[in-house]
Amino acid sequence: MKLTKRLFMTTAAALAALGLAGPALADKETEERQTAAAKEAVDTSKFAKEGPYTIGVSAGYLANSWVVFALQHIHWEASEHDEIEKVIVTDAAFNPTKQISDIEDLMRQDIDLLIYWPVDDAAIASVLERTVEAGIPTVQAGGGFTDNAGTVSNAYISQWRLGEMVARNLMEDLGGEGKIIAMLPIAGTTAAVDQLDALETVLEEYPDVELLSAEYGDWNRAKAKQITENLLQRFPQIDGVFSPAGQMSIGVAEAFEEAGRLEEVTMSPGDEYNGWLKWVAENGQGGAVTFPTRAGQEAVKIGLSILKGEDVTRGTAVESEYIAPEDIGDHVEPDAPDDWWSTELPEEFLPKQ
Amino acid sequence: MTALVPTRDGVLRFLSAYAIVAVLAAVFLLAVLISDAFLQPKYLFNVIRQIAPVGIAAVGVTFVMILGGVDLSIGAIISLCAVVSAVLMNGEAANLPMAIGVTCLVGMAAGAFNGIVLAFSRVSPFILTLATGIAILGITQIFSGGTARGIVSPGFREFFNYRIEGIVPVLSLAFLAAVLVGVLIQKRTLFGQYVFLTGSNRRAAVLGGVPVRGVTIMAYALSGLFGALAGLALLARSGVSSTMSGQGLEFQILAAIVLGGTTFEGGRGGVVGTLAGVLVLVIAFNIVNISGLPYHLQMVVMGLIIIAASAMYGQINARSQ
Repeated sequence: MKLTKRLFMTTAAALAALGLAGPALADKETEERQTAAAKEAVDTSKFAKEGPYTIGVSAGYLANSWVVFALQHIHWEASEHDEIEKVIVTDAAFNPTKQISDIEDLMRQDIDLLIYWPVDDAAIASVLERTVEAGIPTVQAGGGFTDNAGTVSNAYISQWRLGEMVARNLMEDLGGEGKIIAMLPIAGTTAAVDQLDALETVLEEYPDVELLSAEYGDWNRAKAKQITENLLQRFPQIDGVFSPAGQMSIGVAEAFEEAGRLEEVTMSPGDEYNGWLKWVAENGQGGAVTFPTRAGQEAVKIGLSILKGEDVTRGTAVESEYIAPEDIGDHVEPDAPDDWWSTELPEEFLPKQ
Repeated sequence: MTALVPTRDGVLRFLSAYAIVAVLAAVFLLAVLISDAFLQPKYLFNVIRQIAPVGIAAVGVTFVMILGGVDLSIGAIISLCAVVSAVLMNGEAANLPMAIGVTCLVGMAAGAFNGIVLAFSRVSPFILTLATGIAILGITQIFSGGTARGIVSPGFREFFNYRIEGIVPVLSLAFLAAVLVGVLIQKRTLFGQYVFLTGSNRRAAVLGGVPVRGVTIMAYALSGLFGALAGLALLARSGVSSTMSGQGLEFQILAAIVLGGTTFEGGRGGVVGTLAGVLVLVIAFNIVNISGLPYHLQMVVMGLIIIAASAMYGQINARSQ
């Protein structure tokens, strides 16, 4: 090792010792505790009322394709129920303060049910509690399980479980040995922390698999590609890639392809992002572990059950499913844009192409 | 004979003129000491390709900043143009010329809007372009419906990512060509001179007969045009994958320009300095990334490298004055 590099790494290690590297907080126990909490029953009697109903949807943001599809699922499910008279949607555009105002505005419009996905859980905890105190049930859609007093129920997707499924499929495809890299979302987010923890938990069963490096591509295809180009420079041998987000998986795969090293690598399943599905269909490897956009639909179903006084638990897991590469043809849409999701939405509810 | 020996003042004057190049050389030397990848032409051209979208946009924004303005809407313009061009391409090679042409017009129009408002009002460029950026973000969402719809024409990405002689990606040359065009505009056109004159002393420029309003509109339109080209470069680099793919790039662009010696006060700087600033930024990112530091430490060390580079630039400048 060159002297400069050694000095550089020593400085880095010293800084790490000072605690600047940032701890990961999630673990398997947290996941198990949340799963148990999700099974608790909700007292729906205090929310039961006759229709017609007005649903308020407080979107933390609508500027990515996944939430657009999830919202369309909400509209589709609402259209299936005559007792739902109106769906009012607000967009906080990643602004936690605006989301508080949005929810207050929705309350003034006499909504009967609030479905939301947050910009920041902590920022809206108080307004959600006030919403529940006002007799309006709240259902969180599509994020991880939220165990707050202001969240009556959840249609949640477990990032840990998704990460575990992706990791197990990768281990199987690798034959239980090799050197891998991990491409994760934004550092510090629940998604990144849970996915990495799930991977590390699975790796304990596979001592012959070495995690060379875990990187953060910020759900950004270009950044994932840039980082992978450097990883390819650093490591002469990379046998596998753990990348649960299809959007980043394409960037990773392109970097391998352009370096002429695609042959050496086994890609993990990504999600059902259409650009990734196209890649799987073309290359016959990887597959998908879904991050279901139908979470929005489940949230409406849960909300209706609450309003009707039916039995509901604190959380309903919207389970991820594995799609093998050979079955990807049933899900990929070759003529649709990359930024599109495999979906069961009927034609009239599809986002515009 | 003594005339051929550089004097101390001569060296300092030279360093002052090319301070950012000296900083770039220092950062590059550090990079080479960390990893010999930085000595490989293929890797180096790849680094240039990585930063092409930011670099191309930075060329245009440089003129706005020499003028004494700022363009915070550039990230939103990049996002809008990337989405618009993919939609217009619609997966057909025949649509390419039209898509590229319309995309450039969209970028120019967005920039010209900024320029017109600034030329005929007393709105602060900071506030105006911040607001324009927010509005363009909204327009992008309305236009796209929240998904980055559109399919890139076959051959578009393949062309720009093709490596000449297996080493030089076309996209990296496109970036260098954009820099060359920027340098020519700055050095060889009346507009280039007017931008410096206006940025140095607006009142004097008006009294001297410089068409300040026209120059302002043109500078912002140029920024929008280069923003559109950056959107196309982003599309070429990584495909259309999000309606917000340019989000946050405005800060990298401004950082590169300021690092390159163009100040917020206007009247100083230039495209060559911006090129060096862009390269300092991308090399700093790649140094920390390729060294294998833990992610959070990468952020700390990258910040330190940029601060050190900026301090070194300031020191060289101060000592030569």
